[in-house]
Formats: sequence, C-alpha cells, structure tokens
Amino acid sequence: MNQMHKLYVHPLPVRIWHWTNAISFILMILTGVQIRYIGMVNLMSFKMAVDLHNLVGFVLIANFFLWFGFYLFSDKIKVYHPELSPMKHFRDSFRQMMFYGYGIFRGQPNPHHVSVYHKFNPMQSMTYQIIMLLLVPIQFYTGVLLWDVEMFETGVNLFGGVRVVDTVHVLLFIFFSAFIFIHPYLASLGHTPTAHFKAMFTGYEEIEDEPAGH
Amino acid sequence: MSVLTKILVVDDDPVVSKSFDRVLANKGYAVISASNGEEALSKLKNEHYDLVFTDIKMPGISGLEVAEQVKASQPWLPVVIVTGYGSDAYEARAAAAGVSEFLRKPLSPEMIEASTAHALSQRVMTATVAESVEMAAPQIAAASVEQSAEAPAKGSTIKNIALFLAAPFIGLAYIVAMPFVGLGMLAWFGYKAVMKRA
Repeated sequence: MNQMHKLYVHPLPVRIWHWTNAISFILMILTGVQIRYIGMVNLMSFKMAVDLHNLVGFVLIANFFLWFGFYLFSDKIKVYHPELSPMKHFRDSFRQMMFYGYGIFRGQPNPHHVSVYHKFNPMQSMTYQIIMLLLVPIQFYTGVLLWDVEMFETGVNLFGGVRVVDTVHVLLFIFFSAFIFIHPYLASLGHTPTAHFKAMFTGYEEIEDEPAGH
Repeated sequence: MSVLTKILVVDDDPVVSKSFDRVLANKGYAVISASNGEEALSKLKNEHYDLVFTDIKMPGISGLEVAEQVKASQPWLPVVIVTGYGSDAYEARAAAAGVSEFLRKPLSPEMIEASTAHALSQRVMTATVAESVEMAAPQIAAASVEQSAEAPAKGSTIKNIALFLAAPFIGLAYIVAMPFVGLGMLAWFGYKAVMKRA
C-alpha cells in the first residue's frame, strides 16, 4: 500500500453543517413518515410529530444558510463549481461509474483524487450541486408553504395548489430518504470503511500518495 | 527589517535542503530548512521569510497544503513547488493556490538560482510598492497590501458566484444528456468492434 498523507478538506463550518444536517434529516424523515402515513407509524403523538417536524425544518433552513454563506463567501465555493467541459465531465463520470460498478471489486484505484478544491468526484459533484442548490431549496419552500397554507395561500396557488405542493414535498422526501441510505454506503468506500466518517469529524481526509517517489 | 533574504526549504529529505543551502548561501541568501509541513507552517507563523520552496510528498501535511495555507495567509509570499512527481492534478492544484513555479526534480544549481531570482523578483515588486507606502503611512500600506491581494479575486467573485448558482442547472443538463452519451458510446464501441472483426 502506498504511503498516506493528510489533507484538510472539510472546514469546521462544513462539518457542523453536515452533522446538524444528518441528525435533522433523520428526525425529519421519522416525523415525516408519521405525519404522512397516519396509523402506519406511531413513534410519538401526532401533535408532537408535527411540532418536531416544523421545528427541525426551521433548524435545517437556518443550517442551509450557514452552508450557503460559507461557500458563497469563501474560496471553497470552487468545490461546487460545475465542470464546463462536457467531454471531460462525461469521460470522468464514466470512469467513476466503471470504478463503482467493476473496478472497486477488482481492487483498482479510485480514478478520482481528492484535493481541497476538488473533493467530489464528477458524479458526486453533479449530484450535490443539484441536491444542495435545487432540491433542498425546493423542499424548504414546499415545507414552509405546507407549514401554514392559509398564510402562504398565494404561494401555494402559484405552485399549483396544495396537492401539487404536497406531492413535490413527498417525492423529495422519498428521494432524501433513499439518499440517507445510499450516502453512508458510499461514504464507507474509502481506503478503510470508516476513513470518510473520521474525516467528517476531524476535517482531514487521508489521501494515498501517488506510486512514484519524491 | 532583516537585511538577509530568507528562504525556507521544506523537504523531508535533508539532502535537498543542503543542496539549496550550498547553491544559495554563496549568493548571500539565508536558507532555513523544515523537514515537514507542520514545522514549515510553524516557522512561517513566527518568522519572516521572502520565499518558500516546498516538496509535495512529505509525512503529515503535504507541500500543496502548505502552499495553499501560505497563499491564504500571506498571498504576497512566493511559493515554489519542487517535486519528482508532477501530475497534471498536482500542477492544477498548485496553480489554483497561486504558486509561482512548479519545478521537477532533479534540480540543477542553475535551476535553483534561476527559480529563486524569478520568484524573488515577484516578491520585490510587491514589497517595493507596499514598503514605499508603508514609509508614508503604515495604515494605508496595510490597506493597500490587502487591497492588492483582493484585487484579482474581485473580478472572479462574480464569476465564482455565477458558476455556483448555475451549477445545478448544468448538472441537470448533464443528467438528461448522460443516457444519450452512454448509448452513443456503446454504439461507437460496438461499431469499432464489428469493424475490427470484419
């Protein structure tokens, strides 16, 4: 195995945001299931589930702005920049897919090399850009509309009515629930199963050195 | 202010820093060595240096991270990367951090001298402006150094934010196009395989 070195990839605000997000999302999913599928899940009283869902929802919104502000006003904004060359994007994406579908089982090296400004592989990068800057804001928006449909009547009607708002919110809820299972699995594919988890606490990713000498 | 030009050489191989010392001491430079990234950052925090040469691969913090941290805290201080293994990814990252030069080992004495002169000329240009203003009014000098460090970033701030906000839409376009690109690639490889057999 090649020598490892440490790279500071996850700054403190990102780590705080990440773990607050993780706990909040689990709470949102649990309370959301109880609210949406009444009678099927009974983890707490219905009122408590609604109150907790609303409270944690606002915590998530505040937490999102911590994330947004950090990236918007730091040079780390480059982490979320898109690849503007379609050729490079597709070539690197297919390489990454080949790795996850085949190479990883053959012990081949990950084609993506983590750096401070390129911590995501092309697939991750594209996924997180869509999730964080499109799907999460839509989920917040529909959530706030559903929080008080009377107060936000105009917004609800503009969106197409309560049924449309509710459907979008639930579809995104299903997507995020799936993400909560897939994310830890992919996070366990580091050089050791816990490497990426540790990195999200310490901030330092352990990077394998290139095979050649100095 | 120190009269001697101080150069920090960061490499876990002591032979490298000795080589720099041999070449540069004769030219009137003070060469100080650090054997790893942590030691280098500690020295840079406590002492004034005019130039930094750093290897990439070292135990602990890598040279690229040293360069990134130096350029973040002292953007005027030139940093030269010295490595025996230069990949495009490393070079791209070094360029993004704003390093002055990316040198590949083995280094000749001429390369060390030329690189030092080149990097210091950049340093002198920045320092001359800052120091002349500093003599007139220290506070204005500090502001101007800060401003000159921020100036190139200002133009790119709008670009950075625009790219950040456009990212999900570009990502969506890639997702929509991906199956077609995949099928196109399969068809192309299939065609090539058939042609090869024929």
